Amino acid sequence: MLNWIESRTGFVSMAKEFLVEDIPGGASYWYVFGSATLFAMILQIVTGIFLTFFYAPSANTAWESTRAIYLNPWTHALLSIHYWGASAMIALVFLHLLQVLIWGAYKSPRELQWIVGVLLFLVTLVLGLTGYLLPWDMDAYFASQVSLNIAGLPPGGEILQLIAQGGPVMGTNTINRFFGLHVWLMPAALVLLVGAHLAIFRHNGAAGPVVDDPRKLRPGRFWPDQMFMDGAASFFVFIIILALATFAPPFLDQKADPTNAAFQPYPAWYFLFLFGLLNFVPWLFSHIPFLASQADTPWVEMLAAIVVPTIGLLIVLLLPWLDRSTTRSFASRSKILWSTFFTIAAIVALSIYAQTGIQAKIAAGPPSESEAQILAEPAEAATTTSTTAGGGASAASAAGAQVFSQNCTSCHGTNGQGQPGVAPPLVNNPFVTGDPKAVIKVVEDGLHGQTIMGQTYGAQMPAWKSTLSKSDLAAVLTYIRGSLGSNKASPVTESQL
Amino acid sequence: MSKQAAAAGSPEGTARKIFSAYDDPGTPEEISRRSFMANATLVIGGIVGLGLVIPIVGSLIPQGASSKGTWAPLTADEFKSLQEATNKPVKLDFALKSKDSYLPEQSSSEYVWGIKTDKQKFESARTDLPTSGTLPYSDGSYDVVNMNFVILSPICPHLGCRPVWNDQATRFQCPCHGSQFNFDGEHVAGPAPRGMDPLPLREQSGVAEIMWIRYESGVPNRVIISYQS
Repeated sequence: MLNWIESRTGFVSMAKEFLVEDIPGGASYWYVFGSATLFAMILQIVTGIFLTFFYAPSANTAWESTRAIYLNPWTHALLSIHYWGASAMIALVFLHLLQVLIWGAYKSPRELQWIVGVLLFLVTLVLGLTGYLLPWDMDAYFASQVSLNIAGLPPGGEILQLIAQGGPVMGTNTINRFFGLHVWLMPAALVLLVGAHLAIFRHNGAAGPVVDDPRKLRPGRFWPDQMFMDGAASFFVFIIILALATFAPPFLDQKADPTNAAFQPYPAWYFLFLFGLLNFVPWLFSHIPFLASQADTPWVEMLAAIVVPTIGLLIVLLLPWLDRSTTRSFASRSKILWSTFFTIAAIVALSIYAQTGIQAKIAAGPPSESEAQILAEPAEAATTTSTTAGGGASAASAAGAQVFSQNCTSCHGTNGQGQPGVAPPLVNNPFVTGDPKAVIKVVEDGLHGQTIMGQTYGAQMPAWKSTLSKSDLAAVLTYIRGSLGSNKASPVTESQL
Repeated sequence: MSKQAAAAGSPEGTARKIFSAYDDPGTPEEISRRSFMANATLVIGGIVGLGLVIPIVGSLIPQGASSKGTWAPLTADEFKSLQEATNKPVKLDFALKSKDSYLPEQSSSEYVWGIKTDKQKFESARTDLPTSGTLPYSDGSYDVVNMNFVILSPICPHLGCRPVWNDQATRFQCPCHGSQFNFDGEHVAGPAPRGMDPLPLREQSGVAEIMWIRYESGVPNRVIISYQS
C-alpha cells in the first residue's frame, strides 16, 4: 500500500525527508516549545474553522450566534477550547521566543528566523485582538473601542482607525473587517510565516545547546526521539487547555450596548502590560515636578500607547545586531540576559498593576449579571417606548427646574430622590455628577435594564431627544447636575448635545 | 542530516566526519525504545484527534429546533371570502411567523388554499387520509374537515412546487411535473405520491386561525418535517 502510493506520489519519501533531522546533542524536553506552539496553532485552526460553521459576523447576528454557540454544549466546548487555545498559543510563542533569546539562538546565521518568529508573535497578538471583538458583547465592544482609538492616536492614525473600523464609529462593518482579519488574512499570514520559519530552521539545522564547541556534540534523532517529546508536551498542553475549557469556560456578557457608559472594559491578559503602561506613564509624569503639567496630555498618552511599545518591538526585532557578543555563552551575553530579565519583570509588574486597577474598578462598579441570566434573555433588543413630554418652551431662568418637574419627577421623585425598584435617585448619584457625556447620552437615548449602584430598576428611561428640544435638554441636564439636592457639577450647554 | 554531517567538521580541521544520528542503527535496546516512541507518538496524535473529532461531530448534528406549530390568524375579510366560497378554492394570505435558528423571529407572507366542502363527500374522495378524519401535529391531532372547511397546503406533495388552480380544468395543476389534483385536493394525475396536504384550522374567539406545516415531499406518507417555511 505505502509502496503503491510512494511510486505514484513520492509522499512517503517526502514525509521521511521531513522527519529525518539531526538534533545536535540529542533530543531534549527543552526543545518542545516551538512544536507545542505549532500544535496550539493547529488546534486553533481546527476549532476556528468549525466555529465559523456557527458564527455570523454582523451587528445583528454576532452576539446572537455567539449566544447560540454557548447554548449548545458541543459548540460551547469548541469555543472554550478555542478561547483557552488562544491563551496557550500566546503563552507558548512567548516562552519559545524567550528561550531563543536566553540561548542566543538568534545569532548568525539565524537572524531571519528570529525576525520571522517575532512577526509570528505579532500576528498571534493581532489574532487575539481581532478575535476578542467577535462575540460583540460589552467587553468585546468597549475593549476594542480602546484599541481602535489607540490606533487613531498617532499622526495619520485616523485613517488607520477608519480603515480598521470600516466607518467613523464601530458597527457591523467593524465586525466584518475583524472577522476577515481573524479568519482569513491573519491565519493565512500565520501559515505562510510558519512555513518560512520551518524552512529556515531546516536550512540552518537546530541551534543546539550552548556549549564551547558545538562540533563535539553527538547528534540525536528528530523522529522519533524529539517528536515523541514534542508529542508528549503537546498532549500536556492539550490536557491543560481541556481542563481550563471545562472548569473555566469563557464568559459571554450582555450584547454590546454603546450607551452603557458605566461599563469598565478590560483587556485579555496578554495585553494587560500595554494597558498598565497606558496608566503608568501618565502617573509617572504626574510625579515628576517639571513634567506634572503634561501628565494628561495626548502626547503622553501616545508615548505610552505607541512610542514605548514600538521602540520595544524594534529592539526585539534588531536584537541579532544589537547583541555584539561573538559567542552564545551566557557569560559573554550578561547585559542582554539582565535586560531580558528586567524587561520580563517590568511586563509582569505592569500586568499586575493593570489587573489590580481593573479589579478595583470592577468591584466599585455595578455587579454584572450572571451568565445564566444573560443567556436566558431573548435575543431581541428591548423595544424603546416613546412617551410624550408635557412641557416644551418655558422661561429660560427656571427652564431646567420646570422641565424636570414636568417630565422627570413622576419616576425620579419631586426632589430627585428616586423610587426603589422604579427609577434610580439623581441626588448623591456619582454617575449624574460624573462625566457629562455619559449623562447626556442616557438622557438623550434612554436606558433600561441597567444595574445602577447595585440596584435594578423597572422603569424605562425614555430617549428624551425625540421629545425635548435641545435647549430644554441642556437646561434639565444643567439642573440635575448642578442644582438638584447637593449636586454641584458643571453645567451642560446646547453645543455639548 | 547529510548537510549537517558535512558542515560539522572535526575540531582539528581534518577530514574526520561525524555521521548523522540516522547512520547509526543503535543498540537493540535503542531500536526497541525508538519503536515504542514512534508508536506512542502516533497514539498521542490519535487521542488528541479523537478529542477534537467528538465535539466537532457533536456540534454538527443539528439540535432539535423548537418543533411546535404556531397559529396564524386570517383577516375577517379573508375568512368571509372562504365562507362565501362555492366550487372554487380560495387563496388565503396570512403572515407566517418563523424563527430561523438564532435570528430574531421574522414574519413573511405566505398563502394556503381554502375550500368549502362537505365532510362526507371529502372523506370519501380523499382515501389517502386516515379514516379517523384527523391528522397528528405538535399539539395532538386536528380535524381535516373543520366547520365544513378544509385548508390545503400550497406545496405539491411531489417535489415541493406550487400547484395552481385552473378554472377551466377545475383542477390544481402543478407547473413543475404536471401532477393534478381535484377540488378536494385528491391526486388524479401525474407523479405526486399522495393528495394535497390538509392543514389545521380553528376558530379562536371569533378569529379563524390556521397552522403552517411542511410535510416531506416525494413520499406516500405524511411526515412532518417543519412548522416553518
